[in-house]
Amino acid sequence: MIADVSGHRPALHLENVRRRYGGIVAVRSLNLSLAQGEFLTFLGPSGSGKTTTLRMIGGFEQPDAGSIWIKGERVDHLPPHRRDIATIFQAGALFPHKTVAENIAYGLRMRGLQKPEITARVREVLAVVRLSGFEERYPNQLSGGQKQRVALARSMAVRPAILLFDEPLSALDLSLRLQLRSEIKRLHEEHGFSAIYVTHDQSEAMALSSRIVIMNRGGIEQVDTPLGISRAPASEFVYNFIGESCCMPLVASGGEVRDRQGGAIDLKLHTPPREGEWRLYLRPSRIKMAAAAEACENSLEVQVGFVEFLGESYRYHLRAGALEFFCDNPAPHMPRSEIA
Amino acid sequence: MIDTVAAVGSAPRRRLGEASLLAAAGWAFIIFITTYMLIPVLVTAVMSFNSAAMVRFPLSGFSLRWYAGFLASPLWMDALWNSIVVALGTTVVSASAGILAAWAFSRYDLPFKNLLYLLIMMPLFLPGVVLGLGLAITFGGVQIAGVPLYGSRFLVVLGHSLWAMPLVFLLMEATFRTVDKRIVEASGDLGAGPVRTFFEIVLPMVSTGVFSSMLFALVISLNEFMMALFLTNRDTQTLPVLMWLSLRSAGTPNLAVAAVVLAVTVFASLTLIALWHIRSLRRA
Repeated sequence: MIADVSGHRPALHLENVRRRYGGIVAVRSLNLSLAQGEFLTFLGPSGSGKTTTLRMIGGFEQPDAGSIWIKGERVDHLPPHRRDIATIFQAGALFPHKTVAENIAYGLRMRGLQKPEITARVREVLAVVRLSGFEERYPNQLSGGQKQRVALARSMAVRPAILLFDEPLSALDLSLRLQLRSEIKRLHEEHGFSAIYVTHDQSEAMALSSRIVIMNRGGIEQVDTPLGISRAPASEFVYNFIGESCCMPLVASGGEVRDRQGGAIDLKLHTPPREGEWRLYLRPSRIKMAAAAEACENSLEVQVGFVEFLGESYRYHLRAGALEFFCDNPAPHMPRSEIA
Repeated sequence: MIDTVAAVGSAPRRRLGEASLLAAAGWAFIIFITTYMLIPVLVTAVMSFNSAAMVRFPLSGFSLRWYAGFLASPLWMDALWNSIVVALGTTVVSASAGILAAWAFSRYDLPFKNLLYLLIMMPLFLPGVVLGLGLAITFGGVQIAGVPLYGSRFLVVLGHSLWAMPLVFLLMEATFRTVDKRIVEASGDLGAGPVRTFFEIVLPMVSTGVFSSMLFALVISLNEFMMALFLTNRDTQTLPVLMWLSLRSAGTPNLAVAAVVLAVTVFASLTLIALWHIRSLRRA
């Protein structure tokens, strides 16, 4: 029996879960707990093991080692239909020969609910996803966003211990994706379900999650709140993966910092760098130009290479000695300027 | 620059001439092939309405007497009945075995899968004579509950299924590969076991494939002659067998009628397959 100190059983608990395909390690020794009502997102590039982990939780794949617990019950030997979970798949995966109502009723029938109760629940969840009146439509009569909302309703209707989201928005276009993202957020706040969400889109992860698990090469890089991850990235990988960054390769020796070609750089840091080669990362949004730069601690004389117009701001590609980086500025600027 | 402009002016006309020539050749070819394919059927059909007592040109007059004779003859009607029973039996046996085997193949990692595949497909490439003879020798003396297997319609059903089952398997294996794996997973995810998922989710999704492969099995059995010749007796002979035997004794126009009955059944089946297919395309 797995329980935390206060005696509450976590909705989900993974212990030393591993999975390999032939010689390739897909997931290496994963340990994780999901609290009741928590929205946890697996974020990572493709091949990082996030989808494999989700599929093991869902029962579509078997872990090679370790154990999976849902609400204190060990489930890793059970097939999907014996687990208290429901998955929202990438393209909805609605049953094409069943109506919207029949799609939603399917899981309820499998759980042995009586007809009047099923009808009531179908109506209730359709209202929740704002698709009342769509009962008799077939999936091919729905738009992509509507399909995904039906899929959401179908999974929510069975009231599982955990909802699993397998990149549910990746097949939709941008405006619809944003709209549905807010919809999922609203549903989570109103209904408080426990959820595991898999995505490679960091803005989705930031907007939706209680906590984010950053995955890379089958392992966990960092587990933290969205704010914690963007404020204090735990590794170089996380820093690069979350948000845009400029990389400056530097060499520190004898208390001085130089670029790769030996040009001295006047750099004031809170913790002076040790001897050796370093990579300094900067958020382009933290770099200021010209007059705004005068209040900054570190400043650098630069040459402007070229400028891209990004719609809301200008991106300046800059060069200082051997360093190349960029920064964003809302207004067009003089070709030569000072930055910090 | 000027050259290019000139070329643009003349090229389409030349291409048009070539295209219409090709189109004409294409049509000639299509008409020739179609006529060639239809001749045997049309000639037999015409013969069945001929009033003369021999299957032979010239035609002497229009008559339905051979149809009346066919329907009134217990011999011919028994043969037709045997054909129908055997065809339906073959459809049931080969469809259930073929569809389930195909599902297992597309869903699970089986040991020696490729070898198994070859084994399933093998009978399709064996001559009917070989299969018929093999079955006749093997089951020649076998009795089930006192009833000899040899000569029974059941044995013919088993024989025909040797051809129909691989065909059903081939069609359904390709069909199952088009099924979205995530929809199958979604069914399990919502709490349905594998059997439930197969009958309630998978089968309705491939209904077109199921329907057409069943009709193909039906048609194969209706047309099959060689195995039926080896495996039937006077009581269980199918229509093609009786046709062969009566051609040996006397070329009555009953033969032509039987041929038309067979051909019409086959055409009807193929039309149904086509209609069902169109319907499913519209729905998708």
